[in-house]
Amino acid sequence: MSGQLLEVRNLRTYLQADGREVRAVDDVNFSIPKGDTFCLVGESGSGKSVSALSVIRLLPQDVASHPSGEILFNGRDLLKLDDPGIRAVRGSQIAMIFQEPMTSLNPVLTIGEQITEALQLHRPEISDAEAEQRTIMALEQVQMPQASRRFRDYPHQLSGGQRQRVMIAMALACEPQLLIADEPTTALDVTVQAEILRLMRKLQDDTGMSMLFITHDFGVVAQMAQWVGVMQQGKMVEVGPCSEVLRKPRHSYTQQLLAALPENLVKPVSVRPHSQNATDQTPLLQIRDLKVWFPIKKGLLRRTVDYVRAVDEVSLDIPQGQIVALVGESGCGKTTLGRAVLQLEPPTSGSIQIQGRELTGLSARELRPLRRKMQIAFQDPQSSLNPRLLIETTLTEPMKVHGIGVDHEQRIELAGLLLESVQLKRDFLWRYPHEFSGGQRQRIGLARALALNPEFIVCDEITSALDVSVQAEILQLLLSIRQQRNLTLLFITHNIGVVEYLSDRTVVMYKGKIVEQGETAQVCGQPQHPYTQKLLEAVPRLSL
Amino acid sequence: MTEHAVSRESFAARIWRKTLDGAGVKVGLSWVALLVFAAVFAPFLANSMPLLMSKNGVISAPVLQYLSVEDRWVLATFFIALAVYRLPVGSAKRILLFLLGSALAAVLANLFVKPPVLVIYDDFRSAAYTETDWRIMPPIPYAPTDYLRDLGSKGLEAPLATEGHTHLMGTEENGADVLSRMIHACRISLSIGLIASGIALLIGVVVGGLMGYFSGIVDMLGMRLVEIFEDIPTLFLLLTFVAFFGRSLYMMMVIIGVTGWSGYARYVRTEFLKLRKQDYVQAAVAGGLPLSSILFRHMLPNGVAPLLVAVSFGVAGAILSEATLSFLGLGVVDAPSWGQMLDQAVKSSTFNWWMAVFPGGAIFMTVFAYNLIGEAFRDAIDPKLSSKAGVNR
Amino acid sequence: MLTYLLRRLLLMIPTLLGITVVVFTVMAMSPGGISAQTLVGGMDMKPQEKQALLDYYNKRYGLDQPAPVQYLRWLNNVSPVGFVTDEHGKRGEFSFNKGMDLGSSFQYGRPVSDILAERIPITLLLNLVTIPFTYLIAIMVGMKSATHRGSVFDVGTSMSMLALWSIPTMLAGVLLLGFFANVQHFHWFPTAGISSREAQDMPFLPHWDEAGFVRGFLLDRVWHLVLPVICLSYGSFAALAKLTRTSILENLHSDYARTARAKGLAENDVLWKHVFRNSLLPLITISAGLLPSLLAGSLIVENIFSINGMGQLAVEAVKGRDRELVLSITWVSGFLTLIGYLIADFCYTLADPRVSYD
Repeated sequence: MSGQLLEVRNLRTYLQADGREVRAVDDVNFSIPKGDTFCLVGESGSGKSVSALSVIRLLPQDVASHPSGEILFNGRDLLKLDDPGIRAVRGSQIAMIFQEPMTSLNPVLTIGEQITEALQLHRPEISDAEAEQRTIMALEQVQMPQASRRFRDYPHQLSGGQRQRVMIAMALACEPQLLIADEPTTALDVTVQAEILRLMRKLQDDTGMSMLFITHDFGVVAQMAQWVGVMQQGKMVEVGPCSEVLRKPRHSYTQQLLAALPENLVKPVSVRPHSQNATDQTPLLQIRDLKVWFPIKKGLLRRTVDYVRAVDEVSLDIPQGQIVALVGESGCGKTTLGRAVLQLEPPTSGSIQIQGRELTGLSARELRPLRRKMQIAFQDPQSSLNPRLLIETTLTEPMKVHGIGVDHEQRIELAGLLLESVQLKRDFLWRYPHEFSGGQRQRIGLARALALNPEFIVCDEITSALDVSVQAEILQLLLSIRQQRNLTLLFITHNIGVVEYLSDRTVVMYKGKIVEQGETAQVCGQPQHPYTQKLLEAVPRLSL
Repeated sequence: MTEHAVSRESFAARIWRKTLDGAGVKVGLSWVALLVFAAVFAPFLANSMPLLMSKNGVISAPVLQYLSVEDRWVLATFFIALAVYRLPVGSAKRILLFLLGSALAAVLANLFVKPPVLVIYDDFRSAAYTETDWRIMPPIPYAPTDYLRDLGSKGLEAPLATEGHTHLMGTEENGADVLSRMIHACRISLSIGLIASGIALLIGVVVGGLMGYFSGIVDMLGMRLVEIFEDIPTLFLLLTFVAFFGRSLYMMMVIIGVTGWSGYARYVRTEFLKLRKQDYVQAAVAGGLPLSSILFRHMLPNGVAPLLVAVSFGVAGAILSEATLSFLGLGVVDAPSWGQMLDQAVKSSTFNWWMAVFPGGAIFMTVFAYNLIGEAFRDAIDPKLSSKAGVNR
Repeated sequence: MLTYLLRRLLLMIPTLLGITVVVFTVMAMSPGGISAQTLVGGMDMKPQEKQALLDYYNKRYGLDQPAPVQYLRWLNNVSPVGFVTDEHGKRGEFSFNKGMDLGSSFQYGRPVSDILAERIPITLLLNLVTIPFTYLIAIMVGMKSATHRGSVFDVGTSMSMLALWSIPTMLAGVLLLGFFANVQHFHWFPTAGISSREAQDMPFLPHWDEAGFVRGFLLDRVWHLVLPVICLSYGSFAALAKLTRTSILENLHSDYARTARAKGLAENDVLWKHVFRNSLLPLITISAGLLPSLLAGSLIVENIFSINGMGQLAVEAVKGRDRELVLSITWVSGFLTLIGYLIADFCYTLADPRVSYD
């Protein structure tokens, strides 16, 4: 099939890990026409990144092997090229950008040096002065403000979005025919992501290059791709034009994945007799003028010159029995707010009252009985559980401290019930955290939060590190637990889809302040504040 | 209590298993085991008196009669350690039991053991002890402080050079057998290593823990203290201590410990600061758990690992310090020590190679062994960069 | 930057004070303390002469006064800011510029500053030659190990590095001396000192004349330094080589190295243009701790090789309970150590653009 820029046939990539062989890519076939974008989608471990790295042959040779397959680029098999051959292709005909802009750039070289290096490597006839000119032009092309000044900057002086622009400029410096992008926007805020995606589409239109775009976000797929390939555990389970695959998926796995997206999840019918009277009751949590400021100390005597205003005079009511979503981008202060409510972060000033009782300024001993009412679940499954303790201990210790259960036997019984309520088996009590997957650990974290039978739980981005299908399960679990126990939740997240599915009320934060709050349907349907509008617009949606 | 099947291995067991998975650490541990054996059973391994003899039908064991307080205490501690290790209790309780047991043994030994004060080794070569029905001598029939005057010893002699008596490693300047002294010197090296490191560890953990937990003023003052002890030229301070306070083994142990704690304090402080931010510690705080539980159940066990690596290297360092002091002429005088023997290698105009190679070799092997163990342990905890690591994908 | 430097320098002062206090306390607390009695006691003199000497010491150095007072007097003498005292020990006026009087050594009877001025350069020479030598070899070995990970070279060197690190300095010194500098075995190197007597008269560079090859001052020095430098350096270079290897490995697997490869750079260029400079950063940090350990090593090496440097001086001072000398050596070593830290930190800011101090 001529006209295809890239053709991958029967590709197999095996990796050596800890003495075992892993079939990371197992007989994969796809092709990319000139000028089109092909998205490779899948969950973690599906082999999408490894496929991309195989195309450009960036996998270390002592670990990876390709037992079979062909990668035809403009008719030439890349797998058969020798080392100088593939190096000539890399950077000039096929370029690649990566997920983490922070670490993907060399911290000790200026960005100008790094871009000119790419240029002069493949076009050695270019002089230094001309290389500099071209680099500045490339930076302007990626819409970097003040491009000529930025030439001499170091990576750490730029923001995440700016660094990714530099990466793109560097990749496009030699005008490649194919750009491979491995989750380039996953680590960026949603508004920045929107800009970068827009930029990439424009560049593609201007240069006519093809893109191989790796992602796990179907919204991004819908915005960017003409073609989609879905991978599961090394195999390509479905390939086809984007509109077809997304609207009429044929393979069961694709159907599962699409069904697990928050916008497609079915919300259970909630029976909440008090929902009409919600506004009459006293809110469970009342926050008034909360400030959490961190001092910045400089100078000879370490005097405080300024403050980082993480939470800047926030006032908020959280009604009982409702799920309130706290949304915002990185650095807006939502995590700090969540922790301050639980007194894990001492507030600088302001008041927090739970059921009428003031929380700020209490001693540890006075605080202890109140801690039963409010608990927290965390984002990172790796560090949320003490690796030295059995699950049983993690669950029963708080019970013991607060006097729940008359003896150890009863507490073990209660712990078993807790595990069952998060849909885990009872004998998981006798295991250690490292024996569980990420999703299971998040469930255990929830079980721990429920151990004291609290009325209020802060969920700090608990699904952000999980695959979409696991996330769906956890969200549904949350809803059912809320129903059973009449819980109040403060759900911190940056994912708007989850907000719309899960929450009753939404609070939007920006730079330490609340810019908008209200019923979810209202805030997400008719946003009033310009920032909220910008945020909602930036979210990549499936339906266009 | 109902039966609960404990499945798979705990964190500690996993680390332990990974550590033992290499040739180097096995060599190291074997050497240390050899040293421990030599240190504990030294009086039975190298002594001028017979282990067991029968004279005129009467069986006696002179060695047992002459066991000093120290000898008995070391033996007792060893067996207590073995016993405690076998007990199925938690590791904290084990350590406590061990310490109590050995303290008790020390007290009892001091009260009840009264060996003869003066020992004249020449007697054991006299008729009273040689004309017997049968006798069993220790493998090396020379005591460390037996200067062999009755045999006309001539001071430093190369191995196997003395006629009439086999000295496998030669004799030192006063005439005593080198191998015997080396075996008895194991005790000093091991005990210095352990006790000095123990003291340093204790001080370091306390100071580092306080700094890490309280921050603020406590942290600032603590850091100044750490800096001071770090910047003092340690060897120099040791020299000063020993020169001004005189040479006692126990003093040396304490001093090496007191000068070496700064590294541990820094480690502990760093770990504490890191651990405080860990989610499970925050969860423990949110759960209202008491401070003691947070510190000892959640933070300490997770911060211990790098500390153990440091301890392993620290023991090696302590042994080196003692050897250096002895070498510079400021070590313990009468009891045998490897460093002191090394010093004799250069004293006379001829180069007494056996005095350098054997004690020096022993020091080297010991330090090497501890370093191997420390390395293996460090690789087990942070396996990303060991030579066996695969790609990090 | 300037404020940072200033702050560090100011913070050095309490640390230095602390060090001297600790050492002084040790001396004062010891049996016999620091009194004239201990200095005079062993000497073989008539009682009146002894008494006279005792009085002299007491008056000159104030040895009959309580320890804290002695310390303050010493501090006053040493610091450039303080009260001017005359030779009878009476206090004069306060001055900001009085100069530092480090006292006189009891053992040698000479001013401490003179003795130190003689000895410090020698120790510095030894150490300053060792440091670049150590780094050079460590980086070469570490780099080869890292780029050929798992090879025979790598496994072999890592084992032997660890073994090397474990050899006690004195054993190495004794063995080197015993085998390589001895008439009994190979007499390749001289046994003592850092230059032979004839060398003082020699011209600086080696050359030939009628009598044959003349070593010249420079070469003679080098010849004398070979064994001591080897002895001093092998321990640190083993540790540095390991660190280099680890650092390079880490950087070779980093994201930015992957980006460089994606641009089409050859592996060699990735190593030298990108990885190398980043790998050096931890080496700079560690260099701060290198100087104190080298100074400690000097103690032993100078002792074995009979080199009259500060290390040798320290041992003699302590053995002779020479209060002035001990205190001065303490704070000078402390000072050198702290300066070493400062230089290391400063070099780090030069190398790593991410770090700025204010």
